[in-house]
Amino acid sequence: MSAAAEVPFKVSVQEEELELLRKKLELTRFPDELDEAEWEYGVPLADLRRLVARWKDGFDWRKSEAEINALPQFTRDIEVEGFGTLNIHYVHQKSDVENAVPLLFVHGWPGHFLEVRKLLPLLTNGPAEQPSFHVVALSLPGFGFSEAPRKKGFASKQYAEVANKLMLSLGYDKYVVQGGDWGHYIAGYVATHYAHKHMVGWLSNYPLAPPPTFRKFPRLYVQHLVTPYSAREKQGLERMRDFRSKGSGYSNEQATRPQTLGYSLADSPAGLLAWIYEKLVSWTDGYRWEDDEVLEWVSVYWFSRAGPAASLRIYKENTDGLEKMADEDVEWTSIPLGYAYFPKEINQVPRVWLRTLGRVVFESEHEHGGHFAAHEHPEELADDIRRMFGKGGPGYGVVPGRTGYAAGHA
Amino acid sequence: MSNWARPFTVDVSDADLELLRKKLELVRFPDELQGADWEYGVPLEDIKRLTSHWRHSFDWRKAEAEINKFPQFTTDIEVDDYGALNVHYVHQKSTVENAVPLLFVHGWPGHFLEVRKILPLLTAASAEHPSFHVVAPSLPGFGFSEAPSKPGFAGYRYAELLHKLMLFLGYEEYVYQGGDLGHVLGVYVANAYGHKHLKAWHSNMPFYRPPSLLSNPLLFLELLTMPFNKTLSEQLSAATRFRKKGMGYYQVQATTPQTLGYSLADSPIGLLAWIYEKLYKAVDHYPWTDDEVLEWISVYWFSRPGPAANVRIYYELTGGNAHDLFEGTRWTSVPLGVSFFPGEPVRLPKSWAHLIGNVVFQSEHDAGGHFAAFEQPEKLASDLRKMFGRGGPAYRVISGKDGYA
Repeated sequence: MSAAAEVPFKVSVQEEELELLRKKLELTRFPDELDEAEWEYGVPLADLRRLVARWKDGFDWRKSEAEINALPQFTRDIEVEGFGTLNIHYVHQKSDVENAVPLLFVHGWPGHFLEVRKLLPLLTNGPAEQPSFHVVALSLPGFGFSEAPRKKGFASKQYAEVANKLMLSLGYDKYVVQGGDWGHYIAGYVATHYAHKHMVGWLSNYPLAPPPTFRKFPRLYVQHLVTPYSAREKQGLERMRDFRSKGSGYSNEQATRPQTLGYSLADSPAGLLAWIYEKLVSWTDGYRWEDDEVLEWVSVYWFSRAGPAASLRIYKENTDGLEKMADEDVEWTSIPLGYAYFPKEINQVPRVWLRTLGRVVFESEHEHGGHFAAHEHPEELADDIRRMFGKGGPGYGVVPGRTGYAAGHA
Repeated sequence: MSNWARPFTVDVSDADLELLRKKLELVRFPDELQGADWEYGVPLEDIKRLTSHWRHSFDWRKAEAEINKFPQFTTDIEVDDYGALNVHYVHQKSTVENAVPLLFVHGWPGHFLEVRKILPLLTAASAEHPSFHVVAPSLPGFGFSEAPSKPGFAGYRYAELLHKLMLFLGYEEYVYQGGDLGHVLGVYVANAYGHKHLKAWHSNMPFYRPPSLLSNPLLFLELLTMPFNKTLSEQLSAATRFRKKGMGYYQVQATTPQTLGYSLADSPIGLLAWIYEKLYKAVDHYPWTDDEVLEWISVYWFSRPGPAANVRIYYELTGGNAHDLFEGTRWTSVPLGVSFFPGEPVRLPKSWAHLIGNVVFQSEHDAGGHFAAFEQPEKLASDLRKMFGRGGPAYRVISGKDGYA
């Protein structure tokens, strides 16, 4: 299949869908709230009321849609072993630099393909002395405008297969990956199955990895025992502990009973809004969300091809219903691995642990930012990607013939 | 503030019924994986069938009329630091004047109507068994009781409210029956008012903190020898499975109840699925009819404070998941009866019931699940009669009220 067989795609929500949304918003029944609850019990009522009112009257989906459609989007059928064909939606922006580095950007939950939006100009069309990238950002199966799997058991291996096949179908035999949240895990699995052969490097903004065991990583194990945690690492562990005890109820439910929760998210715009908005606020670092920004984000979920319930299943499938950790089957590979550390990220393990996933050659510490790094701090993340894969960087030239520079600059 | 028992009838407004009807008309269902059955949560086919029934066949007014056959009241109960909360309750006295006053407390996602089948059994007069005067409230935030408006309404506040309700009704001394959170609150009531007012109590979900070496050395040793004790292992592994797989709702409700609340308040099918999952999974082959399920859910949908208020109890009891449900309570010597039902998902090894209190009565059944009073009213009534009747371990715990004519 050649890159020329790309099927252009434009988001085009049906008028009936918009009408249904409007009618539902009009009938919203709000709950009560405890006095001065603020964020203690979840999303404040005042925020929800304001956002629902805006969603109903004021937010202009067609305007958003037009802006989204300024991005070069496509779909193509990807055959997945045992699961038939899935129609996958993706953004594909090529750089003018012919030998730009092919980069696959993978989102997570409750993220989506638009998280790549601010990175695109920086990566594809940056200054000549910086490396350039051909960027592919897919909607994961079950998210955005990709089809969802129809059968049970579509898990990490399958997500990796889709990612790899997509890149190959675009003519990118070798490529690098950038991801956070599920994008981090999926990148790990793409590495596990396709390292060296196809995937040749990755940068994660999600510093989570299993602790080293003495059996598998004796040197790291000992290193962990004798190395005291840095102040940043201690803070990170605190944040993680906090997240685990107070902020991970959603993931427990999604990993065990996604369908039960799915009825709420499919049927109630206010319910879906609250469920996602909570993460947009609590996982970011003082990011000033505009109401329309939030509503556009949630609308992508509301109008998603498979519906919002489908997106939850990744938690159950990839952990086998909490029987195992999501990264349990990631194997260490020697392709260059880089980490970008943002202080408000929800999961942050000691840096020694991160070496159980791959050969860490690049680490970048930031003073601000949280979970949605590409959206909150695109400049910083783009800079990390450039430094890792650009001239003089530890990932320079990993894709043979595509070093990221125009002729005369390489 | 009304300090008298105002008779109450459930009377959902036409506007509320109309809003529900409109929402059901606009319902948007999710997709579902092929062959998912119950593996991912409530099956789509069940929700579609129930939704259709709710829209076209279920008659709320008929259900409402049946509910109103039970003697219901409201009264204001003053709770320290919270002011007066208007509490809704069923109060049925037996014809036996010296019947034993019994407080029946529901849990989540239960409600006051869980008492409906056991009520006639407990209040019935007979020479063969004791009778009870039964009080079955809607917990604050549930059914037709007001919800607290301030944060921090935790275990001892619920206990205070329940206790004061009994005092208000003239029952200085009383007994108590509960399962689910009704059991948890029983622990608090026993701690705060045990012996002086709460003379004995019964639980159909005997559950407490696991033993530690310091608090319960013998049981702790039992825990250590577990690999060699097959029955114990099996019981604990069933409990662990529930802990791992069935606790999503708990984690969400104990940490971000408000976020969940927007869905439960706004989507009838969202609320239906959230609760029906428990109704289906926690029972022992109970043949739920669609009408029964929809009536149950409707009580939540039409509840006075709305469906988001009730889930807060998990947050308040656990301090936002900072600790377990039993914070600040200890073992008490108040006589305790326990009944083990095979379908109860929250099961600990039977010997651990002694961690809760002074077990004077124990009963094991071969049928019945989590909603014991609703599924097996005869069995539960029989247990209470045995426990409190002549020759029973809690006979005459309340002087002058032995339950017989």
